[in-house]
Amino acid sequence: MDDLEKYIKENKLLFDEHKADRSKMWDNIESRIEIPKSNRLWRSPLLKIAASILILIGGVSIYKLSNISDFNQNQQNNTVHNELHDIDTYYKGLVSLQVQLVKNNQKLQPEDKKEFLSFIDELDNEYEALKLEMTKNLNNEYILEAIINNYKKRIELIENLLKQVNNSKKLNSNEDYIL
Amino acid sequence: MKTNILYTHKDLVEQSKSGDRNSQYRLYELYVDAMYNVSMRILNVKEDAEDIVQDSFVDAFKNLTSFRYESTFGSWLKRIVINKSINHLKLKRITLVPLDHHEYHLNEEINDQVIAYDINKIKSGIKKLPLGYRQIINLYLIEGYDHIEIAEILEITVSTSKSQYHRAKKKLIEIINTP
Repeated sequence: MDDLEKYIKENKLLFDEHKADRSKMWDNIESRIEIPKSNRLWRSPLLKIAASILILIGGVSIYKLSNISDFNQNQQNNTVHNELHDIDTYYKGLVSLQVQLVKNNQKLQPEDKKEFLSFIDELDNEYEALKLEMTKNLNNEYILEAIINNYKKRIELIENLLKQVNNSKKLNSNEDYIL
Repeated sequence: MKTNILYTHKDLVEQSKSGDRNSQYRLYELYVDAMYNVSMRILNVKEDAEDIVQDSFVDAFKNLTSFRYESTFGSWLKRIVINKSINHLKLKRITLVPLDHHEYHLNEEINDQVIAYDINKIKSGIKKLPLGYRQIINLYLIEGYDHIEIAEILEITVSTSKSQYHRAKKKLIEIINTP
């Protein structure tokens, strides 16, 4: 490095002779980093899942409300309502089909069947009672929550039964293997 | 020691990564003048340099998650500013590096030594240089890049960078020594 190079490098700070218009430039920067921040949030898969769950819960709640008001007043008749009604019919059909399958299942022990069906009956009664309660007090979120829990319990019950069936299958195959 | 330098303003950078506006502003305050000067040295137009520095900060904050302390935050940001400034010149179709056969009537017998070191004379001498020469002098002597990095920035070969720098320096000395 020669003397000129050395001299310039040593004094390079003196070449910074301009002052930036800080506030004006920051305003422009800030306005442009606002939007991407929220966009970036949506790129997170966890948040996507959380949002989907929220939408689902919201959808279910609206569905419950409209279902109950339909039960009571039968006033709403818009497209959304019809769609929700179809979903309800589908869901009910699915549950009754599952119940029928359980009833007809040969592999299940009679006492297991009886236990399962009595639980389902209990939950059906509870559901009807909650629906009635809801007509008296539409905005009661505790009742709404109870209805959702009712659905959850049914699903849990079916799941448990499925596990039992699978376990007994495994047990049988193990026995075969030993024999 | 080198590792410590790389982590300069680590807290501010980390908080900025998570979108903390105050930390982003503090980083901006620390670097805006330096970055504005870097861009001004290349573009020489106030409005253009402001636009480029704003763009660079916006890009830096948006892509901060990709910054992994392989360099200091300052040199990472400076590289963004330089690349954007050079691209801006390219868009304006301004030739950066004069061709080898371009005729500048350099006195071959010029004395390679500067007679008197005067920072103001050097500054004005650099400004009087043809654009391509000025860029290479700025990048090498003031911004502190080596010829490999300059070759990358200007998309030229390393040997072109070296020969152009040699010519540019010669021209600069000639201008400085002119009374």
